[in-house]
Order: sequence, then structure tokens, then C-alpha cells
Amino acid sequence: MALPPKRALQFLRWFCREDYLEEVEGDLIEVFEKQHEQSPSKARKKFFWGVARHFRPEFMKALKIGQNSNSVIMTRHNLLLTYRNYRRNKVIFLINVLGLSTGLACSMLIYLWVMDELKMDKFHADDDRIFQVLEIFDEPIGLRVNETTSGQMALSLVEEMPEVEYATTVLTPVENITLSIPDKNLKANGQYVSKDYFNIFSYPVIEGHKDNIWSKSRSMMVSEDLALKLFGTTKDIIGESVAFNQEESYHISGVYEIPSSQSSFQFDFALSFEEFAPDQEWALSWGSTPAHAFVKLRSDADVHAFNEKIADYVQVKREKEKRFRTPFLAKYSDRYLYGKYENGVQSGGRISYVRLFSVIAIFILLIACINFMNLSTARATRKMKEVGIKKANGASRWSLIYQYLSESTIMTMLSLLVAVAIVWILLPQYNEITGKHLTLSLDLNLLTSVLIIVLLTGLLSGSYPALYLSGFNPLTMLKGKLVRATGETWARKGLVIFQFVMSIILITAVVVVYQQIEFVQNKRLGFEKENIIVFNREGITEKEDQLETFLLELKKLPGVVNASSTSHKLSGHSWGVYGFNWEGKDLDDNTHFELVAVYHDMLEILEMQMVEGRAFSRSFSTETSKAIFNQTAIQHMGLKDPIGKNITFWGKEYEIVGVARDFNFESLHAEVKPSMILLKPEYTDQFMVKIKPGKEQETINGIADFYAQYNPGFSLDYRFLDAEYQSQYVAEQRVASLSQYFAGLAILISCLGLFGLATFTAERRFKEIGIRKVLGAGTFRIIYLLTSDFTKMVLVAILIALPISYFVLHLWLTGFAFRVDLQWWSFAGTGLLAICIAWFTVSLQTSRAAQVNPVDCLKNE
Amino acid sequence: MKAPSLGEFEELVLLIVASQHDSAYGVSILEGLEKQLNKKVNISAIHVALKRMEEKGFVKSRFGGITSDRGGRRKKFYVITAFGKQALDLQYDVRTELYKQIPKISFN
Repeated sequence: MALPPKRALQFLRWFCREDYLEEVEGDLIEVFEKQHEQSPSKARKKFFWGVARHFRPEFMKALKIGQNSNSVIMTRHNLLLTYRNYRRNKVIFLINVLGLSTGLACSMLIYLWVMDELKMDKFHADDDRIFQVLEIFDEPIGLRVNETTSGQMALSLVEEMPEVEYATTVLTPVENITLSIPDKNLKANGQYVSKDYFNIFSYPVIEGHKDNIWSKSRSMMVSEDLALKLFGTTKDIIGESVAFNQEESYHISGVYEIPSSQSSFQFDFALSFEEFAPDQEWALSWGSTPAHAFVKLRSDADVHAFNEKIADYVQVKREKEKRFRTPFLAKYSDRYLYGKYENGVQSGGRISYVRLFSVIAIFILLIACINFMNLSTARATRKMKEVGIKKANGASRWSLIYQYLSESTIMTMLSLLVAVAIVWILLPQYNEITGKHLTLSLDLNLLTSVLIIVLLTGLLSGSYPALYLSGFNPLTMLKGKLVRATGETWARKGLVIFQFVMSIILITAVVVVYQQIEFVQNKRLGFEKENIIVFNREGITEKEDQLETFLLELKKLPGVVNASSTSHKLSGHSWGVYGFNWEGKDLDDNTHFELVAVYHDMLEILEMQMVEGRAFSRSFSTETSKAIFNQTAIQHMGLKDPIGKNITFWGKEYEIVGVARDFNFESLHAEVKPSMILLKPEYTDQFMVKIKPGKEQETINGIADFYAQYNPGFSLDYRFLDAEYQSQYVAEQRVASLSQYFAGLAILISCLGLFGLATFTAERRFKEIGIRKVLGAGTFRIIYLLTSDFTKMVLVAILIALPISYFVLHLWLTGFAFRVDLQWWSFAGTGLLAICIAWFTVSLQTSRAAQVNPVDCLKNE
Repeated sequence: MKAPSLGEFEELVLLIVASQHDSAYGVSILEGLEKQLNKKVNISAIHVALKRMEEKGFVKSRFGGITSDRGGRRKKFYVITAFGKQALDLQYDVRTELYKQIPKISFN
């Protein structure tokens, strides 16, 4: 009898449903046998073909779901075991899931923040071709990178350089403008832009046409936000006219949209630079640097070559012999994260916070994963009997491995779900703290990385029982004679130490960051910033002859201590000038001096102290030709006995009458700048009013009423000087508050792990405790016994962590010009705190174990 | 409920099952079909049709006894059900009705 091909038959039996197999096989064989009598080879071929033709879903085994196959039953059984196991150990279950899911949630939140930071400003089309023109100033104190350049820069670059496709000049002096339409007034900030602005930056123009925005004179573009605030709509508002500071009016030529969460640059309206500049000599002179310049290069242009080409651009334009200003291009979207320069070289910026948080996220994730692994492996040793019985009943090693791996991955998946829920719940608060608009979107990167991490954690923590325990001889396991490998305990201890090292580093970091921020906020700046309100000089008060009258009236109001006007808002750099001469000046010295133009009483309001000489006073008549410098400036000029010496500035002579104690108007990242104070009321553009403490709101209301009446059409829009100054530290404050939360969570997760381990140890040594108690050991002796191990681990962790954190924090603090000293006690304190927390956590468990009645532990064997 | 459909090939198989009453199994159907249609048919096509019709309730099946033929595998016999017969009748009526409506056309 001819036999059908064996391989084909095997294949058929492998895939075919059992209830169909006999029929199919029988029919195929019968056909084969009949054919075989005529042509054996043809029959074989036909048999193969017949088997192949049956290889379709209806005839396949596995696709029939609900079939009681062995693997399905075993999986169901394993799940049931997992469920029962955790139901018996609810605490361990909670610790496991909570620990891992908090860790995952933290890292996901940080991931969202980091991704958002990295995306900032990158939404513009051709982002890699948009650059900002920066300039390196060669000053005696070092190279300084200036963000602004001459108003001509962009215009001549696009004309003379073939590499430049578009260029635009941006001037931003239009702040706090009162805009009015017939029945509405509001304040807004805008900028002058030259014509190709919207060709470089792709803020979507939603109303009006991009190409003829500036075709008519006195046009203005408004942001969608402003349009909504002014008119309540963005439709049909083109051509509407808007009054500026109750005087000149502009008409709307279009509406653009700023994606607020992705753009670091916000402005409410834009006006034409071309229209503004011709009347202003400074705006187009190569000597001054009031403007921002942005260019879009052609796609084939090379930035490095271009930078070399324009290095002496300003020098040539100004026909100077020595190069003082060196322009170069920096990528526009980099300025948000890499905005800091030191001595002309890029030196970080916000990117350091991004890195810091990425590290924190990794730390927390590691801590959480280690926890999970530690607890799972610790628990696994209790499964010895289970494994033994399973093996004795004939379970294969593979099925055991499968069981434990699937158990741990299911747990991690569950934690992931909880983590996503946590993130979802916390996101609104998180957005408030970070000042962002983060959403939990389906980000493929996030999804895959989280899944990989979770699977890896699951596999790693499951691999110990899966691979290690399943390899033993069932007999020794059932007898309980298994000697535990010392390597295992060491590994677990090592992991706990690692966890605590990371937590301690985080805590010390938070303590020191907090100290530094406190220090900065309370440091004497050289002027008094409390109880001073600032508002713009606008409308009628801009008139020179009105200034004195207005201030006099203002001072009469109840609660007002003093009032004056200034050009400097004392919160960051405002107006740098150079080009003045003093006795013995090096002619190449082009150092910028900060110019502070004030009116009478300003120095008194700020309580600036004079080291030498006097402040401006009404009792002298020629005060407008007198000057006051700060200590740094005098030092820089190298003047001995400065009082009475003359300097020339912009072609006019000034006599030095006073030297002010150094004051710091920039954030304390920066050193004190040389500054010059002049009595020039015509330059002052804002008022500062000192008010009595205690009744601030009443006083401010009084000022607002008076202001509305004195300056019709304008409303008081005030800021507190100290708040303005603080706003320079927004980034630090956010980092500080965020890192506090995260450090707290890190220690919490570590403690959860410790608690779990303590529970586990106490349980394992249950009998030992009973015997010791019977033999007369006291409660404290037992607590000591159980605690000493953990104490040792935490001590080792402290020894490792403190030097590392000292080093890291020292590095961080060098970024500040004024910084706290690292105190030994903040480190010692953190160490002590770590031990206390560890003890507290462990004692929750050990004290209970120590008080147990020995009879309870010893009665069953 | 909509009556389950009866495809062309299924209809042929069902007709053979009905005609070989109580002795129709895979290979006998195959041979019957090949003889009627005068072309080669693969046995898998018949199995697919049979399984589908069994699901639809047009046929039912039972195993035969063990013999030394076919390598000792039992045959599976198929019988048409009343429902299957009904479906065949319906199909037949529709066809004859339509056929009758053809006007006398001369093809010269």
C-alpha cells in the first residue's frame, strides 16, 4: 500500500482542527490512493497541494477561541494564583503597584514637560533656516554676547548677502500701550517689525492677506487674543481703527495667531518698522544696537561660512579700524533652551533644567523599578514550596518560567494603567505649577518607551523566580533545605543602597536649591524694592511741564510716601550706553555702562546709599549736568578721588557728584554692571511710587482714582517692584517647587520599598523572634536585631551620596554670581533625615513583630 | 432572520449530497462533481463548502464505521436536511420561473 508523504501529513495534523482532522485526512488519503495507482509522483504532488489548500482559517486550530487548550487553562490558572497570592498579601500588593505607578507617573509628567520644553519655538516652518543675528562685544572685562543689533542689520543683510532669503528687524519698545476703540480701553504690548516678518515666522495669519499687510500706511496686525479682547471676534475687523494712547490711530490690516504654548515670544500687535524708523535716527544708525534681527537663510547656505563672512560686517559699515562688534547667527529656536553665553561662548541656559529633570525622572523611575524587583524577588523565596509541588507534579521548567514572567508583567502593566490615571488626574495642577499647557496625548515615543520600560521591569523582576527557582531539584525545595545564595542578599542590599543614594542626592539638592533661592530673594540689592509700585508714564504725564505737577499731586495722596520717575525698571538690563570719555580712558574701551536716567527723589525712594559725595538735590540749579556712578563703574574707569572730576558723554560735560554703593538690577546670576545715573527727566518713562506698608490696597485705589481723573482715557496699570524683580527668577522658582515634589516622591517610593522589605524580613524571621523571646530577649533587643541591617544600608548610602551631591551642587552654584555657601549641616541634616525616615518606616513593621506573643509563632510546625 | 444564502458551488455540492442520499462523503462528492462538470476539482473546496453548509444548517453529518480503507480513517457522511431541501426548492423555483419568462428568441 502506498503511503502519502509524511511531511505533508505532519503539517496537516499540526494545523488542522481536531474535529475536522479525521475526515480531511481520510478524504485526502483516499484521493491519494486512487491517484497513486495511475501516477505516484502526480499523486504526491496533488496530496501536497491538497494539504496546502486546506491551510485556511476555518480549518485551523489556534484561531478557534474558547477551545479548552492546555495553555489557555494554565494561563487562567496562573492568573488565579496571582490573584489569590496578592489577596493574601494586600500590603505587598499595594506597595508594589503604588510604588511603581507613582514612579511611572512622575517620570511621565517629567517626560511631558521635557518634551514640551524641547519643542518650544520649533513650530515655525523651516525652523532650521531661521536665525537670530547676535553680536559679540569685545569689552575689557571679556567678550559679551548682545541679543540686539543695529536697526540696519537685517535690511542690509538681505540686500547684500545672497545667502539670506528673508530678513526682518524687530523693535520692541511698544510696551503697555493703551489701545482704545470707541467704548473700550486696554493695555497691550507690541513690536515694530519690518515687512518680511510673517514670511520668516510662521504665525498663522488668520485674517487678512500675508502679502499686503503693510500695503497701506498706519497698518497694524493684531493677535487673535487681542482681537477677541477688543472686538469679541476676529471676523470683519479689518480696517477698524484703534487709537494708541488716545492720540494717533492705526487700522487693523490682519489677525495672526500665536500658539501660546509653543512660542516663547508673545506679542499682542505688530506695527510697521519701515514706517516708524525714518523719523528716528537711532533706529537706523549703525552706532546703536536697539533692534533684534532675524534672518531666514536659503536652504543651500552654510551658517559657519556665513558667520565668517559677516564677522567684520559692522566694522566695515562703521568704518572703524578695530573690530569691536562681531555679528554672528544663532539658531532662533535654540535661544529658548541655549540662551546663556559666557565670555562669548554658548554656556547652556534652560537646557540645564531640562537635563536636571531628565536625570530626576530617570532616578525616580530607577528607584521605583528597583523597589518592584526587590519586593518581587523577596517574595519569590516564599514560593519555594509552590515551585516544588508544581515540579513534583510534572510541571516543565518552561511553564514555570512562563508563569512567573507573565505574573510580573501583568503587575507592571496594571501599575502602568494606574500611572496613566494618576497623570491624567494630576495634569491640571501640574500645568499650574509649570505654567504650561500639557496634555496627555497619544505620543508614540512616550508610548513605546513606557511600554519598553514596563516590560523590562516586569521581565527583570520576574526573571529571578522564573529562571533561578525553577532550576532547583524539587526534593530539596520541598524539604526546605535550600541554602540561599549570599549573592542574592547582596544584590538586594546593593539595590536598596542605590535607591537611598539617589533619594539622598535628590533631597540635598532640593535643600540647597531652596537655600539659594531664599538667599537671592532676601539679598540686599543695593536698593530697597519693597512697597514700591511702578507704572508707565503715558498720556498727559508725558509732557515735560506736567511731570513736576503730577508728582506733586501724587505725593499729596494719603498713603503715598514719595514719588518720582525713572528710565530704569531695575529688573534686568534696560539701556546700555558707551562712547563717553573720562580722564585716562583707554580709547579702545567700549564697555557698556548701564544708563539710569532719573528725576529728583528717585535715589531716595530706592534708598540707594552714597559711598562718596551726594545724591541729586533740588537745592542746586545745574543738576542736569551732574553724574553719579556706582562703585563698579568708578573702579572700571580707574578714577581716584572721583568727586569733582568731569566726564564727557554724547558731547556734553558732566561733573561727578557722587558714588553710589553697588546695586544689582539684574538677576543674581550676573555680576554688578558699571552704571551711570543722570538727572534726565526727559528720558524717564515710568513712575515709581513708594507707599506706606499696611494699607497698600487702599493707597493704590486712591492713586488709581486720581490717575483716571488726572490722565483721562488711561487707567492705572501698576506692578510691584519686588514682584517685577522676582519674575527674573520664575524659572528657578518653578524648578525649586517641582524638585521639592519630586524629591518627596522619590523618598516616599524608597520608603515603600524599605517598608515592604522590612515586612518581608520580619515575616521570615517570625520563628526566630519567637525563640529569642522565649529565651528572654526584650522588645528592644528584637527591634535592634531587625533594624540594624537596614541602618547599615542607609549609612552606606549616606556615605556614598553626600560627596556626590556636594560635587554636583557645587557645580550648580558656580552658575550664580552671588551664591550661598554649601553648609555642612545641610548635608548632615539630610543624612540624619534619611536615617530617621528609614527607622520610622522599618519600625512600623518591626515594633509589631517584636511585640508578638511567642506562642503564636511557635505553635505550628 | 434572513435566510442563509446558497452559493453556486455550494448548490452543486448540495445537489450531489441530496442525490447520493445517505452515502455522500468527501471523495464520493468529489467524484460525482468531476463527472458532472467534466473538470478537476480540489477536495479542499468541497470540504469548505460542506463545513459552511453544515454551519448554515443545510446538511448534517455523521461518522461511518472504521474500515481498512483510507489508512483506517472513518468516513464522514453527509445528509441533506429539510431546510437544505427547502433552499434547493426555492432556488429551483426561482430559476424555472425566470427561465419560463424568456421569450422565444430565434438565433438565426
